[in-house]
Amino acid sequence: MQLKIWHKMIIGIAIPSLIALLGGLLAYGYITDVKNRQGFVMIADDMKEHVLEIRRNEKNLLLHKDVEYFKYCGDSISVLKNYLSNISPQSTAEIGESNFSELRNSIQMYSDTINNLYGQFQTETDVVEKVREEGRKLEAYIAAKKSNGELSTNFILNVRRLEKNYMLFRDKGSFIAFESAILTMKNIVPICYECIPYTQVAYSLSKAYNNSESLINELQATGVKLENITYGIAGKERSRINAFLNRTHTLLVAALILLCTIGPLLVYKTASYIVAPIKRLSDITKKITEGDLNQRAPLKEHDETYSLAMSFNTMLDQLQLTHHSLEQSIELLHEKQIEAEKRASLGFLISGVTHELNNPLNNISLTAESMREDINELTLEELKEYIQDILSQSERAKHIVSDLLEFVGTHKAAVMEKLDIINLIEEAASLVANQLRVSNINLKMDIPNAPFFINGSKSKLEEIFVNIMINAVHAMKSSGRITISARPDKEHKRIIIDISDTGCGIPEKDLKNIFEPFFTTKPSGEGTGLGLSVAHSLVMKHSGDISVQSKLGEGTTFTITLPGFEEGLL
Amino acid sequence: MAAGLQLMIIDDEPIVGKRLKRMFEKEGYAVETFLNGASAIEALEKKHFDIIVTDLMMGSVDGMKVLDTAVKKNAGTRVIIITGFGDQGTIDEALNKGASDFLIKPFKFEELYKAVKKAESGLKAT
Ligand SMILES: Nc1ncnc2c1ncn2[C@@H]1O[C@H](COP(=O)(O)OP(=O)(O)O)[C@@H](O)[C@H]1O
Ligand SMILES: [Mg+2]
Repeated sequence: MQLKIWHKMIIGIAIPSLIALLGGLLAYGYITDVKNRQGFVMIADDMKEHVLEIRRNEKNLLLHKDVEYFKYCGDSISVLKNYLSNISPQSTAEIGESNFSELRNSIQMYSDTINNLYGQFQTETDVVEKVREEGRKLEAYIAAKKSNGELSTNFILNVRRLEKNYMLFRDKGSFIAFESAILTMKNIVPICYECIPYTQVAYSLSKAYNNSESLINELQATGVKLENITYGIAGKERSRINAFLNRTHTLLVAALILLCTIGPLLVYKTASYIVAPIKRLSDITKKITEGDLNQRAPLKEHDETYSLAMSFNTMLDQLQLTHHSLEQSIELLHEKQIEAEKRASLGFLISGVTHELNNPLNNISLTAESMREDINELTLEELKEYIQDILSQSERAKHIVSDLLEFVGTHKAAVMEKLDIINLIEEAASLVANQLRVSNINLKMDIPNAPFFINGSKSKLEEIFVNIMINAVHAMKSSGRITISARPDKEHKRIIIDISDTGCGIPEKDLKNIFEPFFTTKPSGEGTGLGLSVAHSLVMKHSGDISVQSKLGEGTTFTITLPGFEEGLL
Repeated sequence: MAAGLQLMIIDDEPIVGKRLKRMFEKEGYAVETFLNGASAIEALEKKHFDIIVTDLMMGSVDGMKVLDTAVKKNAGTRVIIITGFGDQGTIDEALNKGASDFLIKPFKFEELYKAVKKAESGLKAT
């Protein structure tokens, strides 16, 4: 996907936020529901409370069988009815229309039963009054007549006691006792006209009692039903709330888990999406710092980093261009510097040549002048000396010129041949042997017995060694030792030659100059300053290397390395 | 005739000393020659020289040092420099230090003689 950083960030942040928001909203909805349901629970509880009040009154009513309690019952019923009519239709709908209609029906049934019971009680009171009246009449009759010997006064009194008991307790036991007494009375006097009204009302009482009993049962059953309905409503609301709470709980846990897993994952993904192109740039920058100016940023993403990468590449193009032109400038400068150095060294060379050549020229011209002036006075001996001076000074000048030509390399080309460098070193040493003897200098040779062949020019190589050995002689003045050692280095196919002396040594400041042409610390005539520069250029001509090590007052060692013989180079 | 003026000639080229000594002695000067600056300065300690002719490049003690010493010792001493190579810088330095003349080799005896004469007239003036 090719998205802008902006979009990536929005996705990374928006999705977790959305999860959180959704979870929160749902939880909020559930909690609002719970709050509403809480109201319903209260309604249900209230209804339950009212029903309980009704039933309390019912109990009292049944206990006392008093008219007053009918009123209480009626009041509490209307309180409940009133309460029901005040419940909003929405609440009714929410809690359940059927519940309410059932409740209303039951209440109606209940209040009807109460009314019936009231009527029944009224009837019952009348019947009780009649029973008492007839009882009293029978009692009086029996007491007055006394003729009817079968029914004693005591018996009647007993029946009346049972009648009173029954009226008092209104229970089955006392009723059965009363009923059996009446039956006994019938058995004693099968045809007792005086007894008939009493037994008749006694039966209607029992009938009334039975009616009341069934009404009471009905009432109690309806009461229980009322209770059950209200309990049911309250229970249902409670369980609904619990369900809501459980759902909220699950929801919150789920949202939390989602947030904790998807959130960080998305943020991480987004961050790496954003960082990846930047990291690529920084990797390239690193490579560039390491000197690879050819690196370019890939133009992959079509987001903000695309233009960044574009500008980055443009910058690199310019950098590379600048770098290139800088390199060219440096090269040019370098060339100019070399030019300047060449000119400077040429100047140095010319001044050296001038000085070196002017001395013998001056000697020649002075000698010639002297001869011209004194030609008549000079003895033959003196004349010979003058001529000899002119000749030797001419020779000297010639040497300087040929050394110079040697140095600048335009002298006759060296003839390269296969030669044994060990043998050559020995021959070069013999060339200076006489001088060494005169100066009381000891020569030590530390060279291998076997020959070591190189490509070289005999005369040039001799010149190198002679120049170095003569310098050593000059450095030692009266006495000392020169050591020449040669070590073949098979591995690198070369030979390393050390020429050491026990002379005065070279001061640190001069070390870098000794290979320069005309650098000399010696008086005129003794040194031209060309010896080492010629040796250097000759060693170079042999593809070799020359270096120096020296300690002031202790001695100097020149090290020459020459490559071994190779067929192709002849 | 230069009536016995003391002339010092310093050059590490022995031929220069030999030839100049003979020629200047013929002209009536008392001439002493030296092959290096050190021995010349030593001699200057012991004896007065009126005119010094010195080479410049001569190993450790060069002509410039001889010039310094001579001028310091006696401001009246005339010093003439002879050298195989002289760049303008060296010439100016020597003249500033009090050299009366600067000749570049090879020179003609005639030229050096003139320079010595000129120095001599300077001597007389002071
Ligand atoms: N073996 C040595 N011991 C001390 N100094 C040396 C030695 N070889 C060369 N030098 C120094 O290097 C200078 C240059 O040497 P070279 O090029 O041969 O010229 P020259 O010998 O004519 O002076 C010498 O003047 C001397 O000061
Ligand atoms: Mg030398």
